[in-house]
Amino acid sequence: MALSDFLVSLLTVVGVYTLFGLGLNVKYGFTGLVDFGHVLYFMIGAYVTVVVAMPSGAADYAGIGGFALPELLSALPLGGFIGWLLAVAVAMTAAALLSLLVGVPTLRLREDYLAITALGVATILHSVVNDEEWLFNGPFGVREVYQPLGGAFPLSLGSFTVNLVVFGLPSVLALGYVAYRVVRYVRPVSRDAALFTVAGVVLTVVGFGVTTLGGGAVVAAGAAVIAAGVYAVSRGVRVAGGFGRPLALFAALVFALWYLVMPAVTDSPAAVVVNLVWLFDPTTGANGAVTYSRFILLLTGAFVALAYLWCERTVNSPYGRVLRAIREDEDVPEALGKPTFKYKVHSMMFGSALAAAAGGLWATHIGFIDPGQFTSSITFFAFTAVIIGGTANNKGVILGTAVFWTLRTGTRFLDDYFPAEYATQLAALRVMLIGALLIVILYYRSEGLLGEQTYDTGVSPRGESSD
Amino acid sequence: MTDPILSVDDVEKRFGGITALDGASFDVDPGITGLIGPNGAGKSTMFNVITGFLSPDAGTVEFRGNDITGMRPSTVADRGLVRTFQIPHELPEMTVRENLALAPRDQRGESLLNTWTRGSGYEQDERNAQKRAVEMAERFDIDHVLDTPAGELSGGQRKLLELARALLTDPDLVLLDEPLAGVNPTLENRILDHLQDLESEGYSFLFIEHDIDVIMEHCQEVIVMHQGRVLTAGDPEDVRSDERVIDAYLGGDADDGGDGE
Repeated sequence: MALSDFLVSLLTVVGVYTLFGLGLNVKYGFTGLVDFGHVLYFMIGAYVTVVVAMPSGAADYAGIGGFALPELLSALPLGGFIGWLLAVAVAMTAAALLSLLVGVPTLRLREDYLAITALGVATILHSVVNDEEWLFNGPFGVREVYQPLGGAFPLSLGSFTVNLVVFGLPSVLALGYVAYRVVRYVRPVSRDAALFTVAGVVLTVVGFGVTTLGGGAVVAAGAAVIAAGVYAVSRGVRVAGGFGRPLALFAALVFALWYLVMPAVTDSPAAVVVNLVWLFDPTTGANGAVTYSRFILLLTGAFVALAYLWCERTVNSPYGRVLRAIREDEDVPEALGKPTFKYKVHSMMFGSALAAAAGGLWATHIGFIDPGQFTSSITFFAFTAVIIGGTANNKGVILGTAVFWTLRTGTRFLDDYFPAEYATQLAALRVMLIGALLIVILYYRSEGLLGEQTYDTGVSPRGESSD
Repeated sequence: MTDPILSVDDVEKRFGGITALDGASFDVDPGITGLIGPNGAGKSTMFNVITGFLSPDAGTVEFRGNDITGMRPSTVADRGLVRTFQIPHELPEMTVRENLALAPRDQRGESLLNTWTRGSGYEQDERNAQKRAVEMAERFDIDHVLDTPAGELSGGQRKLLELARALLTDPDLVLLDEPLAGVNPTLENRILDHLQDLESEGYSFLFIEHDIDVIMEHCQEVIVMHQGRVLTAGDPEDVRSDERVIDAYLGGDADDGGDGE
């Protein structure tokens, strides 16, 4: 598997959980509703999308469903895709209605009671889905997951050259744009801070190199060099007087080493080209093609972009102002004549609908769903991601989710640099690393990496001001 | 004699074995009315019952002739009866501007669908809310801190913000829970001047206060509560000379700070 495949898969996971986190942020970040049962709506979204799009009489499936929406619309141009989008819309509506049912009794409770009650309801419904085979096939899961536009992929436009130009060029440009933004952001950092950071990267890489030589004392020595590298980066952060630029530089350098330099050394220069044209997979078919997983990434990106704009529009408004007032002190908007209960119910429904859309995408990405994928740890992953990135900050959700899932799954390849007998310890270390990061952030920067965002209702507040 | 703007009739409220309100009745006429009584007399509980934060166990509350007993606080506020809190409830992470712009009623941008569509009236209402927020801030001399998070205000500024925010809902009657507690004498006079000005503009106030001189000077009427009941009500001069009031309240600890309710 080329690194680009890994990157595409990681970005898709980040996208799905960003969508999920945006929904949580509406509830928790902007309204102050601690919904420990958020994963419930992710699960409902996944199941409803799948069973609504599924043709009837699917093999090995005993649950309800089989409405075959994409098939019904197949006469239309893009009918299957529209049918799938409608299935997602149905799932979002179902999740919103379910959260209404859950919310009416629980939203009258104060926040800590709400958190526990929501967790209880989610656990109960998870058990129902897991145990009742007539509903969604119980623990056997659903294999019949509709693939929107699946027939069109792998997509090839004929000759290899045409493919490379049409798909490869935008890929390279996208990478270049990201690099340009990172350089522009990092550039004002001081020379000393940059040197410390680069030294940190070099030490870390050398440390990993040493550990591959294997065996007891050598691994320990490598780990010590890695620790020295981490210390150098922390010096860089201190010298820079801010963590953003040195850490961005660190991340960019590590990414470049991993994605571009390492393949050239261990593989061949051709591998670097394959990575650069990441959207295009030259190894699929005769002339290369865009694989279906890459299409899912683009689809997820489109969903995230739309959801981001939707959330921004929602919070940058008088409506969003009432939500934040509820978060700060519910008695105030209530005493001023705002029916806070109604606002909380709406916020719950909106956030849950976004989680359901994430569920629909998740099912499409993973191709098979069962109750085991929707444990409550998913909720807590999202809370962690939102808190790392910045509670009540939609951009922070994207950043926090990217940091979280990069640490969780993106560091898996590091296992190769350690002798195989350490695999179990390394898996535990990854979880500890995220826990440690969460503690560091809560200690030094409790508002998260980006902090709360600023707001603008779209009407210039200074227009009529006399000051 | 005008019709009372607020009528409280035989209201009872118990918390477990404690009777906080024990058949309290009074009328409030337009103007400035004081509500006094020793600690534990039930004044704050009465405010909570009137504004819907608590449901009474018995009795009725009428506002401008309509029964509002047991309605949600937001409904009560929507009818034009708004309250402030004894400890100012500023929204700490929101700016003073946002705290104020929140208050005007019936903003069309506060509906979720209209927020998404930015449909009719969204911009007009929001511009109006922003404009009124600035005007009210100027009136109360907090316009220099408009873009400061409310959590960073001084205690006095919080009191002013609380009052300004309540007024932005265009109320007929404002219930002020100890607006002068913990306020320095200069600011106290400014707040009282504001109340006098606002009264002449047609606003009515019912406020809890412990300083009998303030009551004498600024209230047309005063209601005295004691042990969950109304001891007496009427002209401040008559009340001051009432033997029972002197026994219950003025005797001994008249200038008690009164923060334990």
